[in-house]
Amino acid sequence: MTQQTNSHPLAESISALADNQASELELQRILKASESDPEVSATWSRYQVASAAIRGDLPTLELSDFAARVSAAIDKEETYAVVSEPVTQKSTGWWQNLGRFAVAASVAGGVVLFAQNFNGISETAPAIAATSQAEVQSVAAAQTPAVSLPASLPAGYHAQPLMARAVGLQSGYEPRQSESRQVVFVPRQTGSQVTSQMSGEEVRDYLNQLIEDHADNAALNSGQGMLPFARVVLTEED
Amino acid sequence: MDVPFFVRPLSGLLLLLAAQFVFAETETPPQSLQSLFSKMSRASQTINYQGSFTYEIQSSAVLQGFRISHWVVDGVEHERLLYLNGAEREIVRHGQALDCYSPGDQLLRGNLNHIGNKLIGLDEFYQFQIRYTERVAGRTATVLQVVPRDAYRHGYILSVDQETGLILKSLMVDSTGRLLERYQFLELNLAPDVKAMESAPPAERQHVASTQIGACSPTQSGQPQNWSLAWVPPGFVFAGQQKVRESTDMLMYTDGLTTFSVFIEPVSVNPPEGAGQRGSTVVYLAKLMNDNQMHRLTVVGEIPAAAAEQIADGVKYHGGDTE
Repeated sequence: MTQQTNSHPLAESISALADNQASELELQRILKASESDPEVSATWSRYQVASAAIRGDLPTLELSDFAARVSAAIDKEETYAVVSEPVTQKSTGWWQNLGRFAVAASVAGGVVLFAQNFNGISETAPAIAATSQAEVQSVAAAQTPAVSLPASLPAGYHAQPLMARAVGLQSGYEPRQSESRQVVFVPRQTGSQVTSQMSGEEVRDYLNQLIEDHADNAALNSGQGMLPFARVVLTEED
Repeated sequence: MDVPFFVRPLSGLLLLLAAQFVFAETETPPQSLQSLFSKMSRASQTINYQGSFTYEIQSSAVLQGFRISHWVVDGVEHERLLYLNGAEREIVRHGQALDCYSPGDQLLRGNLNHIGNKLIGLDEFYQFQIRYTERVAGRTATVLQVVPRDAYRHGYILSVDQETGLILKSLMVDSTGRLLERYQFLELNLAPDVKAMESAPPAERQHVASTQIGACSPTQSGQPQNWSLAWVPPGFVFAGQQKVRESTDMLMYTDGLTTFSVFIEPVSVNPPEGAGQRGSTVVYLAKLMNDNQMHRLTVVGEIPAAAAEQIADGVKYHGGDTE
């Protein structure tokens, strides 16, 4: 094969190695060059693909860079992390962040977020807030994905969550399974000084009861029989 | 060699058929949907079955297992839903008469299609497509894709058992394509031992669910007492009202596939206001003043959060006596 102008000087040796025809000397040169020259391993990889394709066992080979492609996919995912900067106080901000709170809470092992009153949110909200996608991406890129992203959310929150979730699962080990199905409640921000006298615990219990009552409606009127009761978390009093 | 003359029109036809498969984006005709819905709404009620299914929500990695038992004796339904994980709990429901269709069932069956004077059909609010067949719980199911036409409800991907019409798998999807919850049967027994189901010992904790809230087989949608809702998402009808927890008014609404409930309770202290979510269920809490009585208003449903907020904003007291 004639050497092309843009191919690597060691290309022929690499090709020989891929065919198990390389001499001891060629092998030494390739190994030495691969330490400093990324093009060597790239070329090696291309030749491996080509020879695997000839042998007809490409799928096996594709698996070898599966991890890399998973990490690339994760880098592309929108992710959230804990930051300490205050969030901007917009009247709709709390609402838009709701879903993020929900997931953040579940990753934390079923932590349920509460603020005691309307104004309390300004103290509690900054603790967990969404960072910009770019910020997180830079963090994610710097780490080995999937296993070492404790502060991030399960990947695929906006994409195909249940499929991608297995990847993010490591960050969400949940020793107390039942806790993770609690309601995540975010109080409304208003200018008013009025405060609610209900504790977070009371609000949560109250909402759980209402969801239970609502399941009666759902089970009767959504054409799916008793299945909607699966959404109910039965409380201790039952 | 020329193609025989009779093949040409045939190949044209084949091409046409192929084109129909390629452009399968066209909606499924309402007649076949109606029969599917009718089957769907009745299947879970009329036949005896026992099966287990899994349930999971988007925000949690937890997979919860359930066993459902359903049997009919003397025209009356009996159901039991046992939690297979965690503490031994179950929900039982007895006494729903088979000849009583709930408002939701009536909507699904196309028998409740008037809101005021306006004729409505489910396909005004959802776009339905029969997509393909798949195997779930060892059975053959038709996959029905349900896409909402507005921003006030979620979409579904339902796998409907071809033989019985039971929903074997249900995915609820929001407007961004995010999966909110998933049910999926693992196995289903259509000839269960009814005697054994009847005599099964109760679980450690048992919750008895209500049956028969709202009218039996209504053909017109009603209106709630004492309260009025200035706005509900189009297609939702009032499905009944009951008192829960002594002093709480519960108003129920359905569009046939999705439900929400409005809870109104007089309180003496300031109620919390805000929004919450668990899986596919959103809650929206607000304060409602009527004369000098403060009420806690809560909207609960499997609807987008913005819809819940808009519903809550329109709740008014209109007084039971002044009608």
